[in-house]
Amino acid sequence: MSLLKPFSKTPEINGANILLVENEEQFQQCLAETIVLQNMNVNVNVRLARSLPLPMENEKSRPRIDLVVFIINLTSEASFKSAETSLKYLDPGYFLGKVCFVVTKARSAVPPERLIAVRKLAASLHCPLLYAEDQTTEGVTTTAHRLLAILRVTAGLIPMATSLYLSTLTCYTLPSDTDQLNFD
Amino acid sequence: MAEASNSFSSELGSSNETDESVSNRSSNRSLRLAEKSQRKSEASDPLLLALKYFSEVKAGTPRIGNDVMERNMALVERVGLSRGLPPEGISVMLDYAMSLRMGAVPCVRVLKFLIPATVVPQEAIVRGMAWLCVGKLAVSTQVFFLKWVLTIFDMIDSKEQLRAIYGFIFSFVTEEQLCPFICHLLYLLTRKESVRPFRVRKLLEVQTKLGRQPFLMHLLSLYKVFCPGFVAVSLPSGIRGGFRSHNSQWKTVLSAVQKKNNGQVTSDICLTLGAKCKPNSRKRKCNHLQLPSLSSSVQRSSSTSRKVFPLEQLHSFSQLLENLHRIELPSQMGSLLGSSLALCYLDYVQDDSAFLRLNFWLGHALHEEFIFCNGEEGSGSSSESLNFLNRLLSTQHFLQEGFFSTEGFLFKFLNVWDGAFLRPQILGLLSDISVVPSSCIRQLLFEPLMQLYFTSTLYFKCSVIECLNNMLLKWLTWHSVYALKDGLDISLNSHTPMNMSLSGLMDSIMELVHFVGRLATVGLQLEGCHSLLLSFTLDFYETVCDMFLKFDLPLVAMPPLGVFLPALFATDPVSVDRLCFIMYRYKKNLMAAKCQQQETKQGFHISSQTYREFNRYQLIIVSCLWNSKMFQPGMAVEVDQNILALSKVPEPSHSFNLIHHPAFLGYALDFHHKCWPERESIDLNSIKAGKQWDWYLEFIFTQGFQGLQQFFQSFISRHSVAGTTAQGPGDTQPTSG
Amino acid sequence: MLSMDDSTKFILKRLIRRIPLQMLQKTLSKWTYLREDLDSLDFKQSKYIFTECLLSLFEEKGTTVKRITELEMIYVIENPNQGMWHGFQLSDAEEDAPTVDLIQFKEQFKAHLIELNSHVSIKIKKHTDEAIWIRIAWGSNFTNPNHLKPTYAVHHLQTPYVFVNGLSLKHKPLLFQALVLATRYGSMKDAHLSGRKLTAIRDLLMRQYQQMFPTKHPRPLQEKNPVPTNPKIEKEQAVNTENRMQVACEAFGDGKLPELQKAVYQLETKFRDDSNKTLKSREEPFRGVVEFSSTNLLESLRHAVSSGIAATPVSALLPAITQKRRNRFIITDK
Repeated sequence: MSLLKPFSKTPEINGANILLVENEEQFQQCLAETIVLQNMNVNVNVRLARSLPLPMENEKSRPRIDLVVFIINLTSEASFKSAETSLKYLDPGYFLGKVCFVVTKARSAVPPERLIAVRKLAASLHCPLLYAEDQTTEGVTTTAHRLLAILRVTAGLIPMATSLYLSTLTCYTLPSDTDQLNFD
Repeated sequence: MAEASNSFSSELGSSNETDESVSNRSSNRSLRLAEKSQRKSEASDPLLLALKYFSEVKAGTPRIGNDVMERNMALVERVGLSRGLPPEGISVMLDYAMSLRMGAVPCVRVLKFLIPATVVPQEAIVRGMAWLCVGKLAVSTQVFFLKWVLTIFDMIDSKEQLRAIYGFIFSFVTEEQLCPFICHLLYLLTRKESVRPFRVRKLLEVQTKLGRQPFLMHLLSLYKVFCPGFVAVSLPSGIRGGFRSHNSQWKTVLSAVQKKNNGQVTSDICLTLGAKCKPNSRKRKCNHLQLPSLSSSVQRSSSTSRKVFPLEQLHSFSQLLENLHRIELPSQMGSLLGSSLALCYLDYVQDDSAFLRLNFWLGHALHEEFIFCNGEEGSGSSSESLNFLNRLLSTQHFLQEGFFSTEGFLFKFLNVWDGAFLRPQILGLLSDISVVPSSCIRQLLFEPLMQLYFTSTLYFKCSVIECLNNMLLKWLTWHSVYALKDGLDISLNSHTPMNMSLSGLMDSIMELVHFVGRLATVGLQLEGCHSLLLSFTLDFYETVCDMFLKFDLPLVAMPPLGVFLPALFATDPVSVDRLCFIMYRYKKNLMAAKCQQQETKQGFHISSQTYREFNRYQLIIVSCLWNSKMFQPGMAVEVDQNILALSKVPEPSHSFNLIHHPAFLGYALDFHHKCWPERESIDLNSIKAGKQWDWYLEFIFTQGFQGLQQFFQSFISRHSVAGTTAQGPGDTQPTSG
Repeated sequence: MLSMDDSTKFILKRLIRRIPLQMLQKTLSKWTYLREDLDSLDFKQSKYIFTECLLSLFEEKGTTVKRITELEMIYVIENPNQGMWHGFQLSDAEEDAPTVDLIQFKEQFKAHLIELNSHVSIKIKKHTDEAIWIRIAWGSNFTNPNHLKPTYAVHHLQTPYVFVNGLSLKHKPLLFQALVLATRYGSMKDAHLSGRKLTAIRDLLMRQYQQMFPTKHPRPLQEKNPVPTNPKIEKEQAVNTENRMQVACEAFGDGKLPELQKAVYQLETKFRDDSNKTLKSREEPFRGVVEFSSTNLLESLRHAVSSGIAATPVSALLPAITQKRRNRFIITDK
């Protein structure tokens, strides 16, 4: 079992690397293309994977990964399971602010238990949980912007801000009763 | 066959022939109607003659091979599909069809072209329901009739008689195939009086038989809204799937007919009402957010003689005043959103059940469309959602308060929002919410907003701060309005069950101010103190600093250092100027509070911590901008001299005074150039000496920096200007607590 | 004089109702019978009134049922993707089977079918793509041919395939026998392939679509997938992706696939648990049916494999649709 480690490699000058993990490839590909199109002052590279662990043969060529993003399609149970198993192949160091979850199709008729399960997962790992509109280009662009905003911090490009600092602000805390307060 | 080939002969000739053949049945009400209208218009109007035929035709007349019937039917059909039928025509044809006088075959055909040109008389519907009871109709025809009733429901001239037979309609609930449609009809007719324990029992009984069907749940939840005591079962807050729309059969024809008729007659009405002029035939259905229209049909003057005055006939404010006592609320509460007059009325009557119904409709529509949408997120539907939310926003602005179903929806929606989808509308609605109790404000509002805020772009951050500023303004305004009315014990929103004490309100506001302080501090840090974000933050503090004087709220809260310092050291002079203005207003508020405290001996207590913070900020500004004592011991910002020396800046304490501050350096150079145009080398320090300093201040103030001017005039006593020290005037004693 | 009876009128009305308004003009213009009268018709009217006009026109001309069936055939040949088409296969060709030509087939078919059931109305038309279209309206000793529920059969000469639409069980043996005799084959059996699109069924059964056969040497990815990828995006598991695409193409074919609507797998098996004697000793096998349905099933399956939604390697049962050219399977114990 090879763990992906956050600090095993030296960072590149003016560069940031993001890893998108999704067991379906459509949204991942689309998001990656949008991310690299954004006009940034830094050189952003995107790595795509369907699941972890990553293949050993790429070990050498792979740069330091500054942010690992798990994309979960809420309408698919397999998507959630795959993300769950992939998490085991991450070094604990990543959970100090360098992991985030992106959930798609949350605003559709999905079983509420699955949404709660994803929330619990994110809360237990102290990771931010982003919701994405994957059907519209505007939604994809927004998600790309948001991921880049996190990436800038986790790659150390913002002075005085670290990934751990950001994660204390954005990590998801589970509401005491998951069904929200009833205001009806 | 010979007759058939004749079928395109003149209609006039053939109808004369019918006239002779029919027998006289004067007792028939339909006939009277037909006769009445016949007198009114030309006797030879082929439509009237055809209608007359159908009103008089005897039961058992053969259908097959009956060319007279076929010809008349074709005529009425053509009129119905092109122009719509007059009210009398609807009555006659419906009665003819439902009575099965010529068997079941023409019935469906008639229902298909029964398109009203103006309104449908309620008597016709009642008679139709009566025929339903005879039990001769096939079930599929019964369903078809109910679908038709649901489609034209908005065009029924009055629903009083229909409500009178509520129990009668209710009895059809037990028929399995009719049940969905009957439930929908009942849903539209239900009023508080209609909810009875035995009906609830019956519905629950049907539910055990048919399962938890959405139509039953909807009706039950409406009953629960009216009479929470009767319905003990728990119903899910968001029921999947609304009532289906059944108008497919008539939709296109109906809208075409209405467009044609409206275009001719009611274009002026649409203008005055300001409501949507779209032809409307829509029932509530999922994934569809068109507002039901109030002006769905042209009302005839005859119906004004009725006791009730339907809201849809309301076209002017004076009319509203005249008929205030006998207005009937529409069956579809959603239609109120479209009309400002209706909203005026709603606001006036303060009818709890009306608000409950409106909230029920709204909450459900929002939930269906935005949280339970079924994947089909096309651009078409999102423009519809956009219009809907905009309409909702303008309604809330008109009423100057949010609906609590909107709030419930927003708190759910924030949890699955990506921060961009319909952003202006969502944030607009969010800024309208009523005061959230401090006990749950964190979980409902702050948690989801934090997640979104810190992972989003600069523009989103700015709009969140702006939204929270508007929210605070609304809360403060409500407070100032209600505090005047009810003394200090305020109930903020008469339509929410939530009564809030003053201390509760203050806690919530304090939470909000602290929250924005946190957002702004970290946000400014992450965005490199972007001046746009700084500007929105200062907007917020302009509201905060005046809470006592402007809104009469006994609360003073200072901005955190994370906001204060970026504003003070901003590179644009506007931010510095606004910061000074805010500090000036803080001083005014604190002084006023102190006065009140001394005069009345009670007032409110401002913690010494607040005074300390204020004095510190004031000292920083004065020592930094005015007397260049920055970084010196005892001057608020203390930095070790050895470290300062490392920076290799000559005279570090001078580098942020009004002359050298990066925001004002340009003005200083400009001033220097104007004072000593002949000088080759620039020596900014010469501005500090003597008269030049006063002139320079004048110069700065005339550039429009009112904040600076007010700040210095209130904080610096000018007598020390006379003592011309090199460092400029010394500071005065700050106000202290 | 000239006139139409009620049933003819009814058939015509039904037919006109079936044809969408926007296609009426096109369809009617292809009908030689109406060539001169076409200009007098106003296609901008509402359909109801248009139908009335058309009816009166036909009445004047004294149109017969035969003429109307002509129109129907024109419409059906132009729009074959309606109803359910079933594929059938002829087997045991006789020596002279490849020499059967159109005229011979026509004569033979009509003669044989009428011999079996004299109350049928048959119309045969050759379409431009070499297909013979046969329309049969069935009647019996007591009833006239029912033109409202005709059977359509499409046969390509010199091929052993027939595609049939709207055939009832009762008439099946009659049609089969007539076809077998007319084509000079020995027998005819169900090909277990059905779908809404005639073209798809035909392409699949006659292998008229782009196929790909399993090879040991995978082609390089660039050849198949010319989309340039951004150098900043790197796929960690690119090899897997490539493999999956390869597997998907091998299993279902490359390029555009015939549009099938469903595939049905029926499993018949014995109960195997020894602890339950009653069930184990049962004579009747247990039946389970799995049905896949989609608007374009093969495309969906290929996508599911290539995008990794379905696990690889693919079960042999799914590629069997294209390999065995059928979409109904019965799986039994060996």
